[in-house]
Amino acid sequence: MNKKIVKRGLIIIALGIVIGGGVFLYMFFQPHRDVQATKTDFQLEARQIVDEYLNDANTANDKYLQEEGDSKVIEVLGVVAEISEDFNNQKVVLLKARGEKAGVSCTFTAETNKNAVSLKGGDIVTIKGVIRSGAGYDEDMEMYEDVIMEKYDLVNKK
Amino acid sequence: MKKSILSLAVIALVIVTTAFSPIVGKLVSKSGHVNFFSHTAVEDISADNYKVVSTLTTETGDLIYSIPMQSFEFEKSMMQKHFNSNKFLDTKQFPKAKFKGKINNLSDIDFGADGSYTANVTGDLTIHGVSNSVTSDASITVNGGEVTVEVIMDITLADFKIAFEKGKPSTNIAKKVKATVITVYK
Repeated sequence: MNKKIVKRGLIIIALGIVIGGGVFLYMFFQPHRDVQATKTDFQLEARQIVDEYLNDANTANDKYLQEEGDSKVIEVLGVVAEISEDFNNQKVVLLKARGEKAGVSCTFTAETNKNAVSLKGGDIVTIKGVIRSGAGYDEDMEMYEDVIMEKYDLVNKK
Repeated sequence: MKKSILSLAVIALVIVTTAFSPIVGKLVSKSGHVNFFSHTAVEDISADNYKVVSTLTTETGDLIYSIPMQSFEFEKSMMQKHFNSNKFLDTKQFPKAKFKGKINNLSDIDFGADGSYTANVTGDLTIHGVSNSVTSDASITVNGGEVTVEVIMDITLADFKIAFEKGKPSTNIAKKVKATVITVYK
């Protein structure tokens, strides 16, 4: 009888170790979030999110940024103002309407760069990615900073 | 007649001010790379960020960095989550790091002539809502109107109230990390 209990106990402990170890290994080697495969949290126009940040950055940060860095996935509709390339050879599409103080700077990836190549100034596009930081006036640089978004891909071009 | 002269003057003024903004001498970079590197006997940890925005005023030597913290990417997603969490950098609360500095030996650098210059930079670095003064070695390269600035900062994490007291992070993350910031101004 006692032996049975001990045996059962040992099996439970062993199972616990295997499951616990499995969970740990899974978490440790967990892949990065695939932003494009993630459900869109917000669909909005570039000027909307810029205005939200310029009006009240704290409220906007609370709405769009997540604690562990997996912030909101956003589809942005806007006019292409400029296309450039960053230090990592990623295409950067700036959505900014004429007369706006700041825009939305959307960085593509090595995989999605090809979809930004055909874009040109004046195009109206919807693109999807993740927000990293908001827009605002920087007193030290004496200029407006754009909303920064990454992992972008083209959804739709009008 | 007077009105049309006035409106012409206004138009001319608008053209002049918009054509020359941003202010001459203030260079803007949106093409840069920030790397965080931590070395311990257990493991090396590295993170990369390509979203630094910077201004460099060549007349005064003012150098500013604005770094969106959630743009740091780690090899392992778990590390990235830890980095952003409220136990470490709390990037929801403090989405940007800032450096507001000055080149100390500005007279040694000729922004008008191609060449490589050794520089020294001092300024206030704000990470995690905490500011500290840091002095770092830098190198500045001028090449055909393009300026590249590389600054290497040694950052003591405890100075910025970034604490790893228990568990794996306390043994696997160095107390001092190296941050290398490269920015290109065109």
